[in-house]
Formats: sequence, structure tokens, C-alpha cells
Amino acid sequence: MNPNQADEREVCLVDDDLSVLKSMHYLLASEGLKVRTFNKAEDFLSHASTHHVPVVVTDIWMDQVTGLEVLARLCAISPKTRVIVITAREDLAARATAMAIGPVAFFMKPFNDEKFIAAVRDALGQGRK
Amino acid sequence: MNPASTKEDHQHSEEQLSLLQTISMEVATASDLASALEVVLREVCEKTGWVIGHAWVSNSDATALDLLVGWYCGDSELKPFKAASEASHFKLGVGLPGRVWESKQPAWVEDIVNDPNFPRSAAARSAGLKTGVAIPILSRRKVIAVLEFFMREARSQNEQLVNVIVAVAAQLGLMMERKRAAEQLSDTNEILQSILSNMGDAVIVADKGGHFLVFNPAAERMFGKGAMQMPFAEWSQRYGIYLADKITPFPHDQLPLARSIRGEEVDNVEMFVRHERAPHGLWTEITGRPLRGANGDVLGGVIVCRDITQVKEEEFFRAGQSGVLEMIAADAPLGDVLTSLVLLMEGQAEGLRCSILLLNHDGKHVRHGAAPNLPEAYVKAVNGAPIGPRNGSCGTAMYRRRPVVVTDVMTDPLWADYRELAKICGLRACWSTPILSAQGDVLGSFAMYREENRGPLPDETRLTQIATHIAGIAIERQRQQEILREREARINLAAESADLAFWILYPGQNAAWMSEKGRLIYGFDSELPLTCDLLLSRVHPDERADVKAAYDRACALSGTFESEHRLLLPYGRTRWVIMRGRCLKDEEGNLLETIGVTLDVSAQKQADLQLQHQREEMAHRNRVSLMGEMTASFAHELNQPLTAIANTASAARRFIERGNIDPALLQQLLQDMVADSQRAGEVIRGIRSLVRKETSVHTLLDLNSVITETVRLVSTDVLSRESVVTTELDPQLPQVKATLVQIQQVLLNLIINALDAMEGLPPAERRIIISTRSDKGDVVEVSVRDFGTGLPKDRPDKVFDHFFSTKQKGMGMGLAIVRSIIEAHGGTIVGENAPDRGASMIVRLPAVRGQTQTIAAA
Repeated sequence: MNPNQADEREVCLVDDDLSVLKSMHYLLASEGLKVRTFNKAEDFLSHASTHHVPVVVTDIWMDQVTGLEVLARLCAISPKTRVIVITAREDLAARATAMAIGPVAFFMKPFNDEKFIAAVRDALGQGRK
Repeated sequence: MNPASTKEDHQHSEEQLSLLQTISMEVATASDLASALEVVLREVCEKTGWVIGHAWVSNSDATALDLLVGWYCGDSELKPFKAASEASHFKLGVGLPGRVWESKQPAWVEDIVNDPNFPRSAAARSAGLKTGVAIPILSRRKVIAVLEFFMREARSQNEQLVNVIVAVAAQLGLMMERKRAAEQLSDTNEILQSILSNMGDAVIVADKGGHFLVFNPAAERMFGKGAMQMPFAEWSQRYGIYLADKITPFPHDQLPLARSIRGEEVDNVEMFVRHERAPHGLWTEITGRPLRGANGDVLGGVIVCRDITQVKEEEFFRAGQSGVLEMIAADAPLGDVLTSLVLLMEGQAEGLRCSILLLNHDGKHVRHGAAPNLPEAYVKAVNGAPIGPRNGSCGTAMYRRRPVVVTDVMTDPLWADYRELAKICGLRACWSTPILSAQGDVLGSFAMYREENRGPLPDETRLTQIATHIAGIAIERQRQQEILREREARINLAAESADLAFWILYPGQNAAWMSEKGRLIYGFDSELPLTCDLLLSRVHPDERADVKAAYDRACALSGTFESEHRLLLPYGRTRWVIMRGRCLKDEEGNLLETIGVTLDVSAQKQADLQLQHQREEMAHRNRVSLMGEMTASFAHELNQPLTAIANTASAARRFIERGNIDPALLQQLLQDMVADSQRAGEVIRGIRSLVRKETSVHTLLDLNSVITETVRLVSTDVLSRESVVTTELDPQLPQVKATLVQIQQVLLNLIINALDAMEGLPPAERRIIISTRSDKGDVVEVSVRDFGTGLPKDRPDKVFDHFFSTKQKGMGMGLAIVRSIIEAHGGTIVGENAPDRGASMIVRLPAVRGQTQTIAAA
């Protein structure tokens, strides 16, 4: 793929849990959205450094790197990327940090599919169909 | 024969008759053959005109005839012939007597001087003898003597004269035969009389009417008096004859003599005889036989009585000894045994008194044993007296350990302290011998007392030996019994207070014995006969087979067995017992019995169970509280699959709504949802297993895998605390036998404690290192290392105490439970402060040998 011809509508998914990753892929695909999935945060970051990433959906609790670290680095690489955070754990401290970095949405797993899709579309700047 | 006138004949006949009469009378009154012959020779010579008469008899060996008697008609001219005759010994057929000896016929020689067979012819010529005649005296057709007559005239054979002499000879023969028979009879009688008089055995002969014909001196001695005429019925009373009880008069119709007179043969009848000449009595053994006439009729009876008093007394003495030994064997009281022994000894000698003293356990004082015939005052005075070098006969004998013979208590220095007492009691001599045990310890003394001054006779010394021997057995036995009783009492006491049951099984007879306590424990009535099967039936059905197998194994190896099991008693009660037993076999290896004990441990077991229950309860609470510590992990673990399911389901709905779904895709979505549901189920199962109350089930575990899994389980919490857990696992780690949940619990506790300990550190320093190793192969070591605040410096192991906590929210039970779990697995746990900072908790568990697991399998 030509890094300079980045798809404006491509949504990146980052989760170290394969089944969650896969299920979000299905969900967005069912809405006709283009999706790129990453099982490892590092892979995503390297992708983001060479591609335009309009929207990323990421878990903030992952084995190797914490989601917050990913967010911080993404901020540096691609400040315009809109971030949607999903987490499996209620953690006020983490949530506050994440919000400070500036995600557009924050979801607790499991989450409402309609709201999630809406949040993703919002982030893509497409508004409602 | 010459013709003779009638008158002459008549005259001759008269003379012959008168001669025969004279001879008959003379012979009848003659005391012996020689004097009878002398009369005959004289009468014949005087009445019939012969000058010499000789009587020849055979010598002792019957080889020749010797001159027995001669008669000569006064003439000195006849002397040479007498001398020649006395010097002659005629063999058979030689000379005149020899010829008659041979022919057994009279011989008449007219001219002896010229007879060719007359060796004395020279003497006959000088004596002027001419005619000789010789006649045999026959008895039972044997020549017993030859009569010989000579005259000076030559005379031809006179038939009449020969007949007279033949008649005389015949009469002599008869007479001699009679005489010889009488002489023989008289000899036999004398021999018999002599035998009877000198015989040691009593011999009594009586006729049919009970009149004594023979009553020899031995019989007189035995029965105290001689033959007396009296009816049978009075014999027993008059002669003092009794049955073996020494009191009942012998039934007269059963007396051996009476029976033998009735025609019976009597053998070896014993009777007791006592009369004024034998006041102590005597024992006799009698054999009797009937006397029968030629026609077989019973004429009387004869008895022979042998004195068996000595044999009998020896027999009684031996029986007495056996009696005392039997008393000992039957555990009769010692006093009774010793009294019987003393009485037995006293009965063996006249005027003998005996006593037995016992040595106290202190070895210094004596106490009364037995002295039935000593005055009470003496017995009392001696009881409790000390032993020593000058303490009478007994005290000194026990002190010296050897016999002491005092022949005169009035002068002997040993008796200085007891002289007056002895005088009062009439004691003069006292010989005492120590009674020794088999090991040679002094048990007491046996003493003999006499009222005359003398030392012991050999018989009395022998009695002493027997008495001390038997007394030693009795006293030693009693002491052993005392020791046994004491020991038994002590064992019983111990058994009773220890709730111990004693039992013996006799598998051969399917019989069993059990102490009272045992019957109580097993719930058996005290009267119920026990069997091995009955005992086994009390074992709880769940454990019966195992107990039986353990018992059989022990029997086969004749070894010991131990089993802890439950008993199921009537009415459903149960009891926990420990049973220990040992199998005993005889020399041939046959199982004789199994002896053992059963210990009631119900109370202890109950406490153990309660404790275990409490421990499990605490562990459970600990696990529940661990769950609280791990909510992040659980939430994350559970939320992941739930999120996946929700997303996938939602996607599927949307695809369907849009109506353009690829059936293959739909199938894929459904399959993913199933997989995620299962994953969620796994998470819940994992949580439940940690929270569930379950008893220990040991399985073979690979600790590396358990650690990896547990770290994964807690990973979200580790992340949320901004910490890192790293593992350094030994790939050659052996397996351990353990309960999975409990090991997970231990690891979770240690990890969470480590996380807590590092809360105050900067996130970059929050590290936990979990490592495993097995240096020696028989122990598996797990170390959980943190870099936190460390353990209390003064006493690192304080952290394992109950209720010790450095945390505000902690109960302080975590490490206490961890330790109890590890110890229940046969392991240990120690806490150490690391040299730089932080602490290591080191768990060691026994490895299962030969079981190693590579990390690849984890």
C-alpha cells in the first residue's frame, strides 16, 4: 500500500486479545467500514509512523506496553489521529489519564455496539449516514 | 543137701526161728545200721557155729567193698585175718565179698585156703580157717551190703544154714531201707525248719481249719506274737492288721491266708500291721497259695509276708514332696506350702521339729515362714530379728550363706541372745541351712531342732537338702508371681489410662482374647466369646478390606502391622483406632498367634478433623479474599470473551439486516461466538475452583506450568499496579505431588504480597521474579522475589504468624495459611531479606523422584 495514499476511512484496531480484535473487525465490517487490525501495539505504532491513521480503536491494558504509553507515543507520531479507548477494567486513574491525552470516546468492555459504531463514524468525520 | 533127722530138723527150725526173732527185735531197736549189723553178726555166729562174721559195704564212690563191722569168736589166732580183712578193699568180682556183690547170690566155699579167688588165703591158713560163706543184703535189687562168715571145720554147703542167713539178710535189707527213708525224711525237715527260722520273710501255714502249722520267727516278729489258736474272724484284731488307711481292721474274710485256704492264689496284697511291739506300725506285702493234697483237695494255705515299710515310707515321703510341689504349682499361699513342707520333714524322723524363716527384701531382717510345731512365743520372738554373724543358727546361716550346726544352744556363742528363749521352748540343738535361689541369692533358712545335744545324722542332712531345695522353689516362685502381678497391674493401669486395648488372635482356631478395655473400645459384651472374624467385622466396611490385607501381609511375613482405621460399632457409632500387632510363629514357622494393642484415637481424630476443617475454612476465606485482590484480572479475563461475543453477535445482526450475508461468514461468526462463550466458561470455572471448598486431592504437578498459568491469571492486576512479573524456570524441574488449587493459592498470595510490598516504589522498580530450581533433585524450590520493603529485620519468619500484617486492609492470615498448606504438602517455606533490598519467599516441596518435566511441556 502506498503510504501516501492513505485511506481516509480506514479504521485501525489494536488489541492483544485476538478474539476481541476479530469481533471488533466483524462489527465495523458489518457497517461497511474499512478496518486494519493490529495484535501488537508496536506493529500499530510503526504503521502509524508511515501511514495516515484517521481513527484508532485501542485497548489500554495490554501485555507488553500499556495503552497509555501507546497513546502518548501515538500523540507524538500522529497528533491528528482520533483515538477511541476501550478497556476491560474500570480504572478511574487510567481513565483520567486517557482523557487527558484526548481520546474522542471511552468504552468499557463489553460495550454498546450502536454507540461504538456511532463513535467510530464520528471520529471518521462522516457523521451519520 | 544132706538128709537130716526130723528131730534135728525140728531143733534147727526152732533155733532158726528164735534167731530170726532175736535179730528182728535187735534190728528194730538198733539206732543205726552198724550196730544192727553187729548184733546180726554176733547172733548168727553164736547160734550157728561160725567163728568170724564180717559185714562189707560199698565205699562212698561204689568202686569197692570195705569192711564195716566184724565179729570174732575171742580167739587171738584170728587177729591176722581180721587185720588182712580190714586192709582189704574188694572190687566187683574179686574175693568172696566181690563175687557175691557181682552175682547178688550167696556163695559157699568149702576150702578157702585153696580157692583161687580168695586173696586173704595166707591169713586164712594161719588162722586155721576152712569154710566161708557170703550172702548179699539186697534192697530194691541192689546189693547194699555183703555178710561173710568163716569156720575152722571144712563143711559142705548147708542149705538150711544159708537160708537162715538169707532170711536175716532180707530182714536187714528191709530194715535198712526203712532206716534210710526215715533218715532222708528227717534231713528234709531239718533243712526246711532251718530255712523257715532264718528267713527274713514271715511264713505262715495253716490247715483248713485255720490251725497254724507253721509260724516262723519272722512271722512272730512281724505280727508281735506267735501262733495262737483262734477263729479266722479274730486274726485281724489279735495280730493288729489294718487296711492302708491304718485304722480300719483288715476284713477277716479278705485276709490273704483265709483266701489261700479257700483255694485262691493271692499276690502282692499290702496291709498295715500295728501292735505293742511295733507301735509305729509296719507295712507288709503278702503272697498266698493254697496247699493241695495228692488228689487236688485243698488242705490248707501258706502265706509269705515281706516287710515293705521302708519302701512304703520312701514312697510316702516322695508323694509328700510331690504334694508340696503341686501346691507350689497351684499357687497355694506361701505360708501353706512351707507349713506342709515342714510337716512332711518332721514326719520323717522321730522327735524332729523344723522351721522355715524368710529373708526380707531389705536383706537384713527375717520374717516368719513356717514353724507349725514350735512354740508361738519362740516364733514371735524370731519374727523380724536381724541377720548377722552371731544371730542364732538361722540368722547366722543366712548371713554366712552356709549351713550352721549348733549342737548345744546352751553353750554356743551364736545363741547368746536367744538362750533363755531356747531353754523355755526345750530346744537343745539347732541346725540351720540357708535357702538359696537359682541365682544364689539368700531367700531364707531351713532349720531342724532337737531336744538332745547332737549334730545331724546323714538322713537328716539329706532331708535338709530336699527341704531347702523345695522351699527355694516355693519362695522364688512366689517372688516371681509378686513381680508378675506388679508388672501386670502396672501394664493394666497404663493400658486403662492410655485407652489401650490388648488382644491376642489365634487364627488357627479363629479365637481371640481381649482385655476389658478392649471389649469396651470394640463394643463387645464382657461375656461374648470372641473370634477373629468378629473382631474384623467391627472394622468399618470401607476400610475392612485394607485392614484385612495389612493383617494378612503381616501374617505371611510374620512381621508387624499397623493400621489406622474406623470401627463401626452397634447403633452406627464410629470410633477411630490405631491397631498395632505382631505375628508370632513357632519353630516350624506355623503362625501361632498375633498379639497387639488397639489405641482409641477418636478424640484426637475429632480434634484433628476439626483443626483440618478450620484450616480449610481459613484457606477458603483466604482464597475468597484473594479473589477480591484479583478483580481486575478476573474482570479483564471475563470481559474479553464477553466483549468478543457481544461484538460478533452484533456484527452478525447487522450483516443479516443488510441482507447480504455470506452464509460462510455467518457460520464463522457463530463459531467464534461459541469459542468465546467457552472461553468465558473457562474463566468462570477457574474462579470457581479457586473459591470452591474442596478437600485436598494430590496429583502430579509440573510447578513451572502452574506458575505460568497463575502469572497469566493475575496478569491484569500486575499490569494495573504497573508492575512486572518475570519468571526464571528450571527446565529440568521434577514434578511434585500436590493439590493444584492450593499451590495456586500459595503463588497468588506470594505474588499479591509482593505487589503490596512494592506499592510505594516507582513503577519502573516494581519487579517480581519467580524462579524455580532443583539442585539436588529431591527438593523443588520456588522463590518469589520482590524489591519491596522487605521482611521484619528482627524476625523474618514473624510474617508467617497468624494475624501478623503490615497492611491496613490485611487480615494477616495469608502467609500463615500459605505455611500450613506447604507443611501439609511436606514442604517448608522461609522468608529472607535480599542483600540489597526486598525479600524472597522460598518454598521447598519434596520432588517426586524420576519425574522431570521440560519447559516445553508447560
